[in-house]
Amino acid sequence: MGMTDSLSRVMHNPVPVSSVDDILRPGDDNPLVERGFAITSADALINWARTGSMWPMTFGLACCAVEMMHAGAARLDLDRYGVVFRPSPRQSDVMIVAGTLVNKMAPALRKVYDQMPDPKWVISMGSCANGGGYYHYSYAVVRGCDRIVPVDIYVPGCPPTAEALIYGILQLQKKIRRTNTIAR
Amino acid sequence: MSDNLPDTLAQRLTARLGADIVAATEWRGETVIEVLPENWLRVAQLLRDEAEFRFEQVVDVCGVDYLSYGQAEWDTTDVSNQGFSRGVEGQGPGRFRWSERPLVAARHGRFAVVAQLLSLTHNRRLRLKSHCHDDALPIMPSLTALHPGVNWFEREAFDLYGIVFDGHPDLRRILTDYGFVGHPFRKDFPLIGNVEVRYDAEKQRVIYEPVSIDPRVLVPRVIRDDSRYDQAQAEAATSAAAGK
Repeated sequence: MGMTDSLSRVMHNPVPVSSVDDILRPGDDNPLVERGFAITSADALINWARTGSMWPMTFGLACCAVEMMHAGAARLDLDRYGVVFRPSPRQSDVMIVAGTLVNKMAPALRKVYDQMPDPKWVISMGSCANGGGYYHYSYAVVRGCDRIVPVDIYVPGCPPTAEALIYGILQLQKKIRRTNTIAR
Repeated sequence: MSDNLPDTLAQRLTARLGADIVAATEWRGETVIEVLPENWLRVAQLLRDEAEFRFEQVVDVCGVDYLSYGQAEWDTTDVSNQGFSRGVEGQGPGRFRWSERPLVAARHGRFAVVAQLLSLTHNRRLRLKSHCHDDALPIMPSLTALHPGVNWFEREAFDLYGIVFDGHPDLRRILTDYGFVGHPFRKDFPLIGNVEVRYDAEKQRVIYEPVSIDPRVLVPRVIRDDSRYDQAQAEAATSAAAGK
């Protein structure tokens, strides 16, 4: 009870929504076991591949980065979702802007974003990245990282818990799965 | 203080340095001495080298702006339903635009430099302080020749307060943005700043624009359109009507 129970409620695997996700189903429901093959559309297959290995660009800027580390560490373990932190933008699909984005950092953030290969997504994590947060009226802070890069998912909180970040990542997976075109 | 030393550190410093010390205080076990800028280097060297003092380490060097010293933004005389008076009226530190910044009359010794010294030999600490003479161009001799470790501290004080450290080998900004204008920790610097950044899709780069929002300080306030006030007013009206 308690922790395990609430974790299992928050941390469930995404509910299979398209036919390609059927291969995730255990037992007799699995078409691969049942029939030995699966039929799907190309975009569903591509989205399945994309959602299954979202490699985030590590962009920890402030205390939110600590929660991001928690999300990646043993208890919550982002690796289970195929989310593996990368040190290089060239290998990344998604950028997690975790923390206060200051004016001096803004061009660097944009440069890193530009270096990421398409398709790419951005998760804005925490109040500071969402809209300046506590530092909204400061002389040095960008009032939201969406002034610099297009943001897909905003995770609220100051800082958001690791669970909240994972929820945001799952939301992004849902968003990607909704996409029916190959070009973004 | 150990028993074999009859005098306190402040008294011994006064005895040794004499007229070089402007003020020496000892309060709550913390010793502070103030010197003039022209004696700054000499006193620092003496404190470092003499066996009696041996302050061989500088823990920190920072600047201070005494512009609104003694004025508390949080002082308030009354409370209104719009919030505390400090939140409604008055220009507290930083609550103004660049063009509205208060042009105060020159106050002598507005900027000060404070160095925190540590004597590992005697296990003793000392605060060394000095007010710059010129408020328009505050200059202080650099301690880098005596203590190379203060290099970045002095750069920080220069960046944030505009205090020029004479003899510093590399006096550049250290924290603020490239091309930043002004010294943000000065009390007459608007907290909102002058520029904000945005990515320009046409120019394909991050651009600077004049700041677009109004300055504001996030002090706690009463929520104005709180339904409880409406209810209280309605109840007051009913009771007044019932009283008639």
